[in-house]
Amino acid sequence: MSDFFKKLRRRPSLVIGGLLTSLVIGMAVFAPWLAPYDPVDFADLMVSEEPPSAQFWFGTDNYGRDIFSRVIYGSRISLAVGLLSQVINTFIGVILGLTAGYFGKWWDDLVMGVTNIMLTIPALIFALAIMALLGPGLLNVFIALGLTNWSYTCRITRSQVLSSRSLDYVTAARALGYGRARIMLTQILPNITGPILVIATLGVAYAILLEASLSFLGLGAQPPTPSWGAMLATAREQLFTAPWISIFPGLAIFITVMGLNLFGDGLRDILDPHLTRQGK
Amino acid sequence: MKRLCFLLAGLLVLAGVTAGPSLAARAGGTLVSMAPYGGDIGTLDPHKTARTQDALVIKNIHRSIYKWNPAANKPTPDLAEKVDVSKDGLVWTLHFRRNVKFHNGRTMTVDDVIWSLNRIMNPKTAASGARYIRVIKGAKAVEEGKADHISGLKKIDDYTLQITLAEPVDLAYSLYDPNVAILPRDVVEKMGDDFGTNPVGNGPYKFVKWVRGSEVVLQKFPDFYLKDRPYTDKLVIKIMGEGAARDIAFRAKELDMTIVGAAQYPQYQKDPVISKHMVEVAEMYTRLMVFNLDYKPFQNKKVRQAINYAIDSDLIIRKLLKGKAFPCKGFLPPAFKPTAKAYTYDPAKAKALMKEAGYEKGFTFECIGTANKSWGVGVVEAIMPYLKKINITVKIQQMEGAAMAARAKAGDFQALIWSLDSGPDPLVALMRWSSSNPRSSGNYANYHNPAYDKLLTEAARQRDPAKKMALLRQADAMLCDDAPVWFFNYNKAIMAYQPWVHGVQPVAVEMMYQDLMDIWIDDSSPRANEK
Amino acid sequence: MLAYALRRLLQFIPTIFVITLIMFLLLNVLPGDATLMAGGLRKEVDAKVMETMRRQFGLDKPLYQRYLLYVKDLVTGDLGVSFLRREKVNRLVGQRVWPTLKLAIMAMAIAVGVGIPLGFFSALRQGSLLDTASMVGAVSGVSIPQFWLGLLLMYFFSVVLRILPTTGYGGGDLKHLLLPAVTLGVGYMALLARTTRAAVVEVLTADYIRTAHAKGLSELRINRKHVLRNTMVLVLTTAGLQFGALMGQTVIVEKLFSWPGIGSLLVDSIFQRDIPVTQGCILVIIVVFLVVNLAVDLLYAAIDPRIEYK
Repeated sequence: MSDFFKKLRRRPSLVIGGLLTSLVIGMAVFAPWLAPYDPVDFADLMVSEEPPSAQFWFGTDNYGRDIFSRVIYGSRISLAVGLLSQVINTFIGVILGLTAGYFGKWWDDLVMGVTNIMLTIPALIFALAIMALLGPGLLNVFIALGLTNWSYTCRITRSQVLSSRSLDYVTAARALGYGRARIMLTQILPNITGPILVIATLGVAYAILLEASLSFLGLGAQPPTPSWGAMLATAREQLFTAPWISIFPGLAIFITVMGLNLFGDGLRDILDPHLTRQGK
Repeated sequence: MKRLCFLLAGLLVLAGVTAGPSLAARAGGTLVSMAPYGGDIGTLDPHKTARTQDALVIKNIHRSIYKWNPAANKPTPDLAEKVDVSKDGLVWTLHFRRNVKFHNGRTMTVDDVIWSLNRIMNPKTAASGARYIRVIKGAKAVEEGKADHISGLKKIDDYTLQITLAEPVDLAYSLYDPNVAILPRDVVEKMGDDFGTNPVGNGPYKFVKWVRGSEVVLQKFPDFYLKDRPYTDKLVIKIMGEGAARDIAFRAKELDMTIVGAAQYPQYQKDPVISKHMVEVAEMYTRLMVFNLDYKPFQNKKVRQAINYAIDSDLIIRKLLKGKAFPCKGFLPPAFKPTAKAYTYDPAKAKALMKEAGYEKGFTFECIGTANKSWGVGVVEAIMPYLKKINITVKIQQMEGAAMAARAKAGDFQALIWSLDSGPDPLVALMRWSSSNPRSSGNYANYHNPAYDKLLTEAARQRDPAKKMALLRQADAMLCDDAPVWFFNYNKAIMAYQPWVHGVQPVAVEMMYQDLMDIWIDDSSPRANEK
Repeated sequence: MLAYALRRLLQFIPTIFVITLIMFLLLNVLPGDATLMAGGLRKEVDAKVMETMRRQFGLDKPLYQRYLLYVKDLVTGDLGVSFLRREKVNRLVGQRVWPTLKLAIMAMAIAVGVGIPLGFFSALRQGSLLDTASMVGAVSGVSIPQFWLGLLLMYFFSVVLRILPTTGYGGGDLKHLLLPAVTLGVGYMALLARTTRAAVVEVLTADYIRTAHAKGLSELRINRKHVLRNTMVLVLTTAGLQFGALMGQTVIVEKLFSWPGIGSLLVDSIFQRDIPVTQGCILVIIVVFLVVNLAVDLLYAAIDPRIEYK
């Protein structure tokens, strides 16, 4: 256990990333206690588009709603959208990529065929079509985004499996008589977590932004739900006249993505078996 | 000609333009305008489009029999020089100009006119302009495939056409639209579908090129029927749907004129230069929230009135739309001087009405709308707190245009927020809400009121313009009192232009329907001598 | 290798058919049809004309019939006629491919040219200032929405500095190309930098590198010979994938900069429910994507001999 903490100390990125991520998660959990105003019901046109002040820390939007409160509550929506969809994506992508790369043959052809199809259909269009089918709403956003973006992870996983299949440790494991599933899970998977984690963490940002596009097309979280993406998209015309309306949700996305990235990087370093073996 | 210049100068003063001493119009240079309504131009064949975006380019290449006169706020003859109308209003004799040439050099005759009107009614064309021509005797037969050509059109000679109508209406309103432009028969028949991308017209500008999704370039047509028009040698129309990008391009002086959105309006008003070069008009678009009268709570007139009283429209216009709208007085826009009694903000009265209606405890309804800033769900977000005070909960369903239109026409909604055209013909505008107009053709509320229908029927029969208008105002007032909609605002359309641009007019029917041939640029333009 | 390429080429055909079928179904179940959008949102078309249009577009026919008709034309290379533009889709789409390709190539060049070196050196100097800065830069690149970045660039270079035009195609010259390409490329640059860094870190710790170190090979030589080559597989996959994806993600940039590309045509046609045009655009994007991917896969062999093609 003390070994773990020693390792932690040597990984500041993991610590900072973890802190930023917990900050955002904390924001989501404790939103009702942190937000000074109701994010939706407090709307007073008399104070619309006020710049940041002591009363409204982040200013107010066109409707006179407190942006600080909306950004805090927005963490709930955006985190859920980003994390959930990315979990679905990664799960589908890794399983398919792993098996396709390892087993090859017809299964590889089939998976790669489907992956190619998925990759070729522009994400926004595919998500839009699914949303149009399922109908608008937050739950459907999770599903649509979760089904949209896995092909990328799948391709990367497969290519990593292909190049690591003939690597020493896999050959050795095979020689030791390890079963296929065991080799995949214990030898190959840990060795490809790095790139996949990086993609997954960046994918959270991508999902949050894609949700913005969907909201913008009327198929995402419905207004006045405070989702960061939607807040950004609707305030774009006021980028120069009332920048605070879009800057703060933008910053929130930035911090979240930053935190997840640092965290992902640090995590990768710890998970990496070579590093552990080296005791570096 | 002098008269026109005088009129123009007068308009400039009216529009609040400090043009200084009246300058003589200068010819030459390049004018850069824009097409702001959404995506790319679809086609330049006027009969095969119904989009305003396309019309903005089409108007400069093609001409119609009438044109919109912004000063008089009604259509005046364009290709026709003189029009005689019979006493019963059924027979119209049109005398055409003799010097109208197409861009291929051929002179336009009545044959082109007859052919064009027939083409519009031909079901193979599927022309949106059919609704304007349908009033001509025999036009419906062509539309239904029962006849080859419209029986109500009679050629007197090469420049005189006699039109017989099925019912007495003001034909001018039917024949000014860009969608009923007169085309050169020989060229269209030769080119087929290619005509839409390589048009030949009789307008002030010739087609040069169209960079898809980016811009259309036109060039002065030297044989245009007005000798000193157009002023500029070249006309470039940039396709720019994104308001923020338009704003930047205008500040970078790449655009000579731009349509101003609510987001930029306060800034432009404060700008010492731009504020002096803006034209505003109450456009003939009424923004409103339509109540579906099939939904139980909305069947109660008091509930509908209560909603109208409960919302502070003025404040929403001032704060949310930055003053870029005029508060509603009924459905008819200010151009028709409506006399309806507008709803004022009166929460107490709203509460009382809800109580009388038996909805003291309120109810919930869902409102559908697009992402549009001035007439989309954004507005609904602003009215939610007001309605909450009379215990009405609003749920918002944002959708894209096509999905929303489908639900609107099917009646699959409780309320919807939209911008509806309320002109240029006030009778046609009000007919939207008549019992004979089905929901699929625009009576989204499913409004039925025999008394209202009767007023409109009388107005349609009335030959005296003043009496007719009085009847229409009465109908408008009745509609306002019945409140099948929440009356929000009339669009305030704003055009900003560079200091070197002259001749921009307030066009109530559609601000972007500027007749660009009347606009000229002085020496100070960076493109003053560009050809 | 040749056999492999041929097999892949043959696979294109079922892939394309499956995609066109999926998209055809999806597009046809979307609420609303083209006739509703014939007048844009500002003008309404009356019910009678809408009926005529519906018949003319063949929307009154059952779905399977429409699909069969579509496939019949597709086999002969005819993509049909646009509903609302009344123009042949082949020509409509054909005109738009080159501007988008140009935009995507330029954006990719920026992304590769900056992203890969950035990721590479960050990995070699982990935890350094460069590493941290590139991390922050990459995250900003991914989290800045394109419309934001585009507007800021436009404002700075066209209004403040007055050295570049705001929007437009201008024949596709570099002056007009620069801002949209940077706007489009930044996000991909960030992704490439991150992926490269991760891959290099992975390779650096691999056994053969340690062996090379043990053999006393110079740092430079190791970096060039082993690290770079082994990283290339992963980076190429990412870059290749991205180039294909770029074709379908130029939408916002093209709209913002009035760029005459296929992305803006695609999104216009989706909103207008102009199904033949949408199908045509998607088909073109797919073909470009598949070809680029095949090229990338073939390149693997040249770079990473461990990969065998069966």
